[in-house]
Amino acid sequence: MSGTEQHAKRRTKILLAALLVGPTLFLVVFFLIPLTIMLVYSWLTPGVYGGVEWTFSHLNYGRILGWANTRYEKFDPTYLAIFFQSVRLAATTVLASLIVCYPAAFWVARMPEKRRQFFIFLITLPFFISLIVRLFAWVLILRPTGFLNQALMGLGLIGQPLEIIYTDVAVIIGMTYVFIPFMFLPLYASIEKLDESLIEASQDLGANRIQTFLRVVLPQTLPGIIGGSIIVFIPSLGNFIVPSVLGGAKVVMTGNLIEQQFLSARNWPFGAALGMIVMTAVLVLLLLYVRAVSREDRQGVTLPVAHGGAK
Amino acid sequence: MQRLAVALYAALDGSMNDILRIENASKSYHAPEGGLVQALDNVSLSVRRNEFLTLLGPSGCGKTTLLRAVSGFEALTSGEIFIDGRPMGSLSPHRRPVNTVFQRYALFPHLTVARNVSYSLEISGVGKAEVETRVGQMLDLVGLTGMGPRRIGQLSGGQQQRVALARALIARPKILLLDEPLSALDKNLRHRMQQELKRLQHELGISFIFVTHDQEEALVMSDRIAVLNGGRVQQLDTPEALYRRPSNAFVARFVGESNLLAGMVVASDGERCTVRLDGGAVIEDCRNPGLAKGDAVQVLIRPESIVETAETTESGHQITGTISESYFIGADYHVVVERGELPAIRATLRAGTDTSRLAAGQTATLFVPNSAAHLLRSGSADI
Repeated sequence: MSGTEQHAKRRTKILLAALLVGPTLFLVVFFLIPLTIMLVYSWLTPGVYGGVEWTFSHLNYGRILGWANTRYEKFDPTYLAIFFQSVRLAATTVLASLIVCYPAAFWVARMPEKRRQFFIFLITLPFFISLIVRLFAWVLILRPTGFLNQALMGLGLIGQPLEIIYTDVAVIIGMTYVFIPFMFLPLYASIEKLDESLIEASQDLGANRIQTFLRVVLPQTLPGIIGGSIIVFIPSLGNFIVPSVLGGAKVVMTGNLIEQQFLSARNWPFGAALGMIVMTAVLVLLLLYVRAVSREDRQGVTLPVAHGGAK
Repeated sequence: MQRLAVALYAALDGSMNDILRIENASKSYHAPEGGLVQALDNVSLSVRRNEFLTLLGPSGCGKTTLLRAVSGFEALTSGEIFIDGRPMGSLSPHRRPVNTVFQRYALFPHLTVARNVSYSLEISGVGKAEVETRVGQMLDLVGLTGMGPRRIGQLSGGQQQRVALARALIARPKILLLDEPLSALDKNLRHRMQQELKRLQHELGISFIFVTHDQEEALVMSDRIAVLNGGRVQQLDTPEALYRRPSNAFVARFVGESNLLAGMVVASDGERCTVRLDGGAVIEDCRNPGLAKGDAVQVLIRPESIVETAETTESGHQITGTISESYFIGADYHVVVERGELPAIRATLRAGTDTSRLAAGQTATLFVPNSAAHLLRSGSADI
């Protein structure tokens, strides 16, 4: 009896392993190996015409973090400044998309079923058009002679065109626009699940709208807020298309810097080092979040994400 | 002096004793399929201080709408609600001196038991020390001593029910509203909670308004019951009066088991009257609900008032038929007696030791005492 049971168990194990071979191979080839290459390159010396010399060098990180090769250059804080500028822009993008999406998600979640489906379809509609095309449409809207300025001047609200294009504001507008679906969907998922009777219970117990929002609605939708924020923040931090189209040469984010190092400056190791720093920052952030969540869990208070689905 | 006069007037009026007064409450709304739905149709009733009142009716009868109108979640189309003499108008729910135990408890899953219970106190800014003592007392009262730090997800259905009760009672509302709170519990637990609720209501001296579609529950717990159907109050009375003297066929059918037989008044002298049932049986000396000779009437006979052999002094009539169904329900047998063309009769009979006579297929001769008959106007509010 137990013999056949064991046999069956082993067969399940083999079957499972067979099923997992494909995905594992895929991840190794297309994710782990490239990542290792980048990690190794970031500790090598740049070749003269791109590529790498196989000599160890810590100066790629030194250039960014504060110990430069004194023979050729002084430490330049520009790279760190650009990194923190990127963090600031990404954080602002998160905030802006949150402000747009939170009420919108409530609005859509309260719609009748059919209309709701249609609106969710609309949210995903931009994905059908090339990102570059959509961003150039924003150039047309935001430039001094563009639609926005024409309209505002036509209404007499402003005397001369606003300088929006090629500024931080344009980049934030562009990134917010691009990442809104990523913020909307997790928010919508948690808001749609929100139990209406909890809101009524709160009101019944004497809480006004603001108290109810802060004490019930916000904690209940926190999983969506945090989830959306993370998946908007990460690609925003490394984004280079939006700043290069809408920021021109004036707004440089870490993503642009990396792109330049690989394509124009031909300094692969330095580009790789920059990439590693962005990745490390994101990982640290995620770890902090996971730790905060598990601590809250132990204390028996609400925690977002981990229990988000259990209701 | 003037105040005394007002108080005296109010006392005479009886309204001093009313914690809740609902006057001509109507509520209609447009159904999504189109058409106007009348959820409440000119409902007036009052709830006395310290009273356990039940709103009883089938689903869609308006009982939940009425409860939500009191708590402020549903706006009336017309009419007014007074709580402790104060008109509620369009006062929002968080300003009303009532609390609700919701049907599915609606406990906050992100808070502990203690924080759920203390919610209303925290909102109104009660000091930390007082909150702690009151939460402790409340948890003791509902039998959840020491459960404060637990999470809602760790509790059983019955425990969640108690948390919901504690949470709604801690702010000492003038009225506690209960929206079918026991419907999710299994039968044994439900019976325990019924008794528990009664005990709590006595101890706290708070008026309870309890909504249910379960007539047994209503009979057991209530001081008075308002039976609702089609947005109207069909009858508001004590459980016993409701059972013995239903005012119409709907109430008779909804509360308890019933035999409703059609007949006609053949003689009437105001107070009492004589009725001839379809099929020829005559019932004499019935309490007359205001019928005249020749009026159509429905006669209510409760199954348990039918007996097998009459007491010698009792007047009544006999019925004969074949038992088609027979159920053992503890001390008694519940039988259905078919009578050919005439409507079948349900009777609850003492089993005794030899029960073979009550098996399906047997011929039964039963006695219906005249005193068992209760007359209802025919055609009055049918289901």
